[in-house]
Amino acid sequence: MKKRVVFTLFSLVLALLVFIPFSWAERGVTDTEIRIGQWGPQTGPASLWGAVARGTGCYFDMINAEGGIHGRKIKYFLRDDGYMPARTKAIAKELVEDKEIFAFASGVGSATGMAVKRYLHKNKVPWVGPAAGSTHWGYPPTKYLWGTYPLYCDEAAILIDHAVNTLKKKRIAFFYQNDDYGKEGLYGAQLALEKYGMKLVAEVSAEPLDTDLSSHVMKLKASNADCVLNWVLPKHGAIVLGTAAKLGFKPQWMTTSTLSDTPIMYKITKGLYKDVFFTTFAELPESDFPLLKKYKKAQEQFAPKERWGVFFYAGFYFVEPMVEALKRCGRDLTIENFVKAMDSIKDFQGIGPVNSFGPNKRQGTRSSFVGKCVEGGESVRITDWMPSGIDVNEVIKRAYNR
Amino acid sequence: MFVQLFISGIAFGSLYALIALAMVIIYKTSEVPNFGQGEMAMLSTFVAYALLENYGYSFTISFTGSLLFAALLGIFLEFVFLRRAKEPNVLSLMLITLGFQMILYGLASWKWGADQRNLAFPVSDFDTIQVGSAVLSYLNIATILITLILMFILFLFFKYTKVGIAMKATQQNAVAAKINGIRTNRILSITWAMSSVIGAVAGILLAPIATLDPNLMMDPLIKGFASAVLGGMTTLVGAAFGGYMLGIIENLFGGYVSLEFKSVVAFGIIVLVLCFKPSGLFAKHYVRKV
Repeated sequence: MKKRVVFTLFSLVLALLVFIPFSWAERGVTDTEIRIGQWGPQTGPASLWGAVARGTGCYFDMINAEGGIHGRKIKYFLRDDGYMPARTKAIAKELVEDKEIFAFASGVGSATGMAVKRYLHKNKVPWVGPAAGSTHWGYPPTKYLWGTYPLYCDEAAILIDHAVNTLKKKRIAFFYQNDDYGKEGLYGAQLALEKYGMKLVAEVSAEPLDTDLSSHVMKLKASNADCVLNWVLPKHGAIVLGTAAKLGFKPQWMTTSTLSDTPIMYKITKGLYKDVFFTTFAELPESDFPLLKKYKKAQEQFAPKERWGVFFYAGFYFVEPMVEALKRCGRDLTIENFVKAMDSIKDFQGIGPVNSFGPNKRQGTRSSFVGKCVEGGESVRITDWMPSGIDVNEVIKRAYNR
Repeated sequence: MFVQLFISGIAFGSLYALIALAMVIIYKTSEVPNFGQGEMAMLSTFVAYALLENYGYSFTISFTGSLLFAALLGIFLEFVFLRRAKEPNVLSLMLITLGFQMILYGLASWKWGADQRNLAFPVSDFDTIQVGSAVLSYLNIATILITLILMFILFLFFKYTKVGIAMKATQQNAVAAKINGIRTNRILSITWAMSSVIGAVAGILLAPIATLDPNLMMDPLIKGFASAVLGGMTTLVGAAFGGYMLGIIENLFGGYVSLEFKSVVAFGIIVLVLCFKPSGLFAKHYVRKV
């Protein structure tokens, strides 16, 4: 009998010991720090966008230098996944289970993000601002995920509005990469044109590895388009402009935010990028916007070797709401509180468009603005932030049959 | 449209032909398909870029420097890695070339990053001349001409020079060649150097069109390999012809049948040729008797 009592007591104590720490502290949060992670391609084919993850790091450095958030400094873990989903998976597991991070910030890529989306949800890891404009993040809404990148389909719709209303274009064609990124843009453009009772005059797709695009350009040229929207990677963006110039095809070119790093695009197209219109997710690099200037100072101080390009400060923009929510939580930072704080964010604006969230609204913005590349590779702003009027559910239906 | 597709096909086919030639030269002497070929060319192109942009040399010097680098790189890889392989068979040598591919790709990504770059080539890809109802850029013409000239030089080299004949001898029977006083090891080094140089020429001609980054040769290498298989891995003329054919077939297929499947054509060709004429369209078919 005595033995049994001792055994029961012992087990009780043990059980308490095991459970007590969990009810005391949240994963990734201590008295002095908040641990946040991000993956991003620092090597490999997509490393042009690796700047996003380094930008976020610079943003966190700035916040820490200002004293952190309610007495806690952000400890930032940046891992290189080389744009390979298998590596992203390993990184997510390492950072969540080993480094015990509180949340994930941004992270470049649709395929890489999709590879860990379910894992992060299952482990209740908040994740804010994936760096890709696909509909995968906010539709349907999931409890721990918030999207801040304007949707690719919305960008296409906004460009179409600009082409039809302002530039009076009549024959618009679409050149896209044959994947989710390209297709969501394509269906966005289709839907926007249907509003005006118009149709795309050509829909031409390219595979990511194609190097010779002459037959693609011939198809576009044969359609007699006066305006072409490009939904491809920078390399194809450059090849298609070069090939078109060679074949004497000179439509008005328009592109997505993915190709909005105009100084680089201008250089690799040998100047052909002049007069190309694009949509984007944040103020332009040379803008006088006060907050952007503050960020630029942070870059000069904490990351002086970085080029002040749009993908670098994208790393600031994508996670601005995350920092706002961390501030709103106060000292009592738990995952549940963070979710509530994120969902309480309404009409919040940093260097990008206005973002609003709610339990059933996890895509923060549907707006973008149109810019134009000018002589020398700099860019100028053409429009104000414009909302897209298309129905996302219709895009999803056309793209994924669901 | 047909004429334009056909002519664009020839222009791009020239590049495939160069890569096919580079692969065949090595294959002929050692029966190894060199999968590092693309990355060797890419790295040499980056050297041209660095000489041009970072050191400000003229194009002629940069171009020559890059070709010299390519030759040394070929010799280095052959001498340091392939020659050290213990009791090598074709499979293990092939794996070594795959290793080169990864090492060189990693090296370029580390040194130059994945940003797209513009290789300032003195011949414009935007200025064109009219050929019937089609246009050709000056760069296209230069590519076609350079390919033809290189092919002609190679032909003369294998037919009339001592080294060229020694190469053929080494390929046909390495032991007998050695007995006759040919330094087969040195021949192998020369082969790798030549092949690397031809690859580099292809890389430098391609970069102004496709923009320079570590992925420059990924797709063209597969196409070059398919061209070599199509024409025959053991014949220079066949391989070059295979390159032109593939360029034309691909473009016509993209123009008239399906753009989505354009890039698959090359793989389809590899499979078909291996099924029906495994030694290629232009090579003599050997049957080895046991």
